[in-house]
Amino acid sequence: MGVVDYIQTIIDGALFGATYSLIGIGFTLVFGVMQRINMSYASTSLAGAYCGLMGQHLLGLPLWCAFPLSIFASGLIGYLVYLTCFRFIPVASPLASLMATVGVLLFVEEMIVRATAGTPHNFPAIFEGNSIEIGAFVLRADLVGVFLVGVLTMILLMAVLFRARLGVATRAVAQQPIAAQLCGMRLQTVNGLTFVIAGLLGGVAGAMTGAAVGILSPLITIPVTVKGLIVTVIGGLGSIPGAIVAGLMVGAFENLFQALRSVSERDIYVMLLLFAFLVLRPGGIVSPGRGRD
Amino acid sequence: MLLIIPDRGSNFTSIGRTLNAGFFAYADGGFPPSETRRGRCNPGTRLEEETSMRKSALLICSALVAAASLARVGAASAEERTVYIDGFGAKSGVVRSLGINSEAAMRAAVDLINSQGGVKLADGATGKIKFEYYDDRCVAEEGISIVRRMAAGPTLIGVGPSCSNVTEPLYGILQKKVGDATDSGLQFPVFTDVAIKIGLAKISEWSFRNVPSETEMYTTMYKWVKDTHPELKTLYAGVEENFSHSRASWYAVQKDAAPAAGFDVKGVTKWLVDDTNFAQQVREIKAANPDVLAVVAHSFTTCGLLKEMDRQHVKVKMLIGLTSSAIQETLTNCGKVAEGITIPTSFALLTPEAKAANERVAKYNGTLDIHSAGTYEAMFILKKLIEDQGVLAKPDTVQADRVKIRNGLAALKTTDGLLGTVDRTSDREAVKPYLYIAAKDSKWVVMHDMIKTKQAAN
Repeated sequence: MGVVDYIQTIIDGALFGATYSLIGIGFTLVFGVMQRINMSYASTSLAGAYCGLMGQHLLGLPLWCAFPLSIFASGLIGYLVYLTCFRFIPVASPLASLMATVGVLLFVEEMIVRATAGTPHNFPAIFEGNSIEIGAFVLRADLVGVFLVGVLTMILLMAVLFRARLGVATRAVAQQPIAAQLCGMRLQTVNGLTFVIAGLLGGVAGAMTGAAVGILSPLITIPVTVKGLIVTVIGGLGSIPGAIVAGLMVGAFENLFQALRSVSERDIYVMLLLFAFLVLRPGGIVSPGRGRD
Repeated sequence: MLLIIPDRGSNFTSIGRTLNAGFFAYADGGFPPSETRRGRCNPGTRLEEETSMRKSALLICSALVAAASLARVGAASAEERTVYIDGFGAKSGVVRSLGINSEAAMRAAVDLINSQGGVKLADGATGKIKFEYYDDRCVAEEGISIVRRMAAGPTLIGVGPSCSNVTEPLYGILQKKVGDATDSGLQFPVFTDVAIKIGLAKISEWSFRNVPSETEMYTTMYKWVKDTHPELKTLYAGVEENFSHSRASWYAVQKDAAPAAGFDVKGVTKWLVDDTNFAQQVREIKAANPDVLAVVAHSFTTCGLLKEMDRQHVKVKMLIGLTSSAIQETLTNCGKVAEGITIPTSFALLTPEAKAANERVAKYNGTLDIHSAGTYEAMFILKKLIEDQGVLAKPDTVQADRVKIRNGLAALKTTDGLLGTVDRTSDREAVKPYLYIAAKDSKWVVMHDMIKTKQAAN
C-alpha cells in the first residue's frame, strides 16, 4: 500500500467514524447532565431505527419516512429508559441505574431479535452508490452526508444547550442540581427532557448508522455500544465536541490499524488507544491535560 | 385371579378388556355348576355325566384361555408408546432464524409421521413421536447443558444444534469411542442438522450429521467454473475471519480446491462477522483485480461487502458465495448487488418431495432451505431406523434403544433425501446431492444440476 492508500484508508475510517460520533454524543449528553452512563443508548437508537422501518413495512409509508419516524421513536424510547432506569432509582445508587440500563440493552436487543427473527433488514441509504472524487481520493457521499448530519446535529445541540432556556436549565442541573432546584427548575422534568433530546439524537444516530451500513441487524448493537463508549471516554465524559472528534479519530485509527496489521488485531489497538487515554489523558481529548476541575 | 365366563349377552371383547385389566373371575360365583342347579339327574349315569361335564368345562376353559391370550396379543398390538426425540438450536439471538426453521421442519416431519400412524416398535406396539425443541442461543454451554438434560431423561436422540461453535464442544463431551470403559463421556446419540463446519462428526462415535459436504461441493464447483469459464484465471477471497464455518470453508476446503482447479489465488481479505465497514477490504479487492471473487461469509456481511463493491464500482467477472448464503435473506437484502453470485447448495425446490415438504414447513411458520431441509430429512431417517433397529421405547430400554439408534446410524450407507439419495461416509458425515444456483433478478436459479450430472455419469 502506498501513501495515497493509507490516506484514503484514514479518510474512509474517519467518515465512518461519524456514526460513532453521533452515538458518542448521546452517551456524553446523558453523562454530562446526570453523571450516569446509559448503557442502553446505542441499542435504543437502533431500536428507533427499526421503528422507522416499521412505518414502511406496517403502514406502507414511503422510505424517507424512516428517518423522521426513527428520530421520533427514539425520543420516546429515550424517555421510557429515563422512567425505567433513572427516574425512580435513588441518586445515591448509580450502580443500580447502570445495571438497569444494561438490562434494557439486552432486553431491547432480544426484542429486536424476536421481532425480526434475527434477520437483517435493508435501511434506506442517503446518496446511495454516489461518491465524491477529489484527486486520487474517493469519498463515500453517504458517509459525507452522515458526517454533515453529525456536525449539524452538534451545532443544533450546542444552540439548544447555550441559547434556549431548556439548555440553560440542563446545564444548571448538570452543574448544581440543588441550586437549580432552589431557582425553581424542576429536576425531574429537565432530566426527562434531556433523555428525550438524547433519544432524538439517538434516532438520528440510529438512522444514520442504518443508512451508512445499508442494513439493520441485531448483530451491530453490541459493537456500536462498545464503540460509543470508547468514543465517549476518549472524547471526555460530558464533552460534546470531544465526542465528535473522538468518533472520527476512532474510526480513522480503526481502519488504519486494520490496514497496517489485520482485521483480527484491529480491536486490540483500539483498546490500547483507549487505555492510553485513560492513563495519559483521563479527562479526554479536548480537556486540559491536568487540573481540569 | 378372577375369570369371567361369558353368559348370554357377554362377549369376548369384554373378556379381553377384563383380562387386560389383569383380573379373572367366575361369572356366577362357582364352577363347575352344581347338581342342584342342574336339576334332577339319573344316579346311574351321574359319574359319567360328571366326567363328561368336567371335560367340557375344561375344554371351554382352554378355549377361553386361548381366546383370552389372543385378545391380549391384540391388545398389545394396539398399545401405544411415546418415542421422545428432541431438537435443539438457536431460537434466540442473531441466528434465531436457523432454530425457527429447524423447529418448523421438525414439527412438520413429526406431525406427518404421527398422522400416518407413527413408528412401529420392535414388539409390534406403535410409537408416537413426542417432540420438544430447546433454545441453545448458539452458546456452547447452553447446548451442552441441554444435551446433558436430554441424556438424563427418556430422549432417544437429540437433533441439533444449529451452530458449529456449539457442535464442536458438544461433540467433545460425548464418548469418543463406543465401548471404551475408560471414557466417561456421554453415551447419547446426537444427529446434527444445520452446523456445517467440515469434519466435526469424527470427534465422537456418537455424533452424526446430515449436512452437505463442502469439500465435495466446492471441489467440483471450482472445476466446473474452470471448465465452463476457462478465461477466468485469478481468484481473490474474502473471509469472515471470526466465524468458524466461514473460516473452515476457506482454509480447509476452498483454499485448496481453487488452485487444484487451476485458479491462481491472488490473496485473501478478511473481516469480522459483525463488521459494517468494508471500504478497506473492497480496495484490496480492487487492487488485486481478480477474475473471480469468493465471498466466504454469511448473508449479513456478504451483503455489506457487495454493497461496498457497488459503491466503489468494483466489479469481478464471477462471484462465488458461501453455501450458507444460498438463502432468501441474501436476495432480500442485496439481491441487486448480488446478481450472478453462484453458490453450491444441497437444497432447491426441484423435486415434488421438496415442494411438498416446503409447503408443510410453511404451515409451521418456517422456511425450508439448505439448513432446515437436512432437519426435515433427519426425522424420516430416524423413523426408519427406529423401525429397522428394533427400538422398544420402554422406560427400561432407553439406553439400549440409544445404542440401537447409534449403531443403526453408523451402519447407514445411504439415506433418502429430498433431492435424492444421500451417501453416508464412514466418519458419520453425509454427502448430499447438490447443485449450483445463482442469483438472477433477485431469484435463485439453477445453474448446474450436479444430481443429473452424476446420474448421467452412473
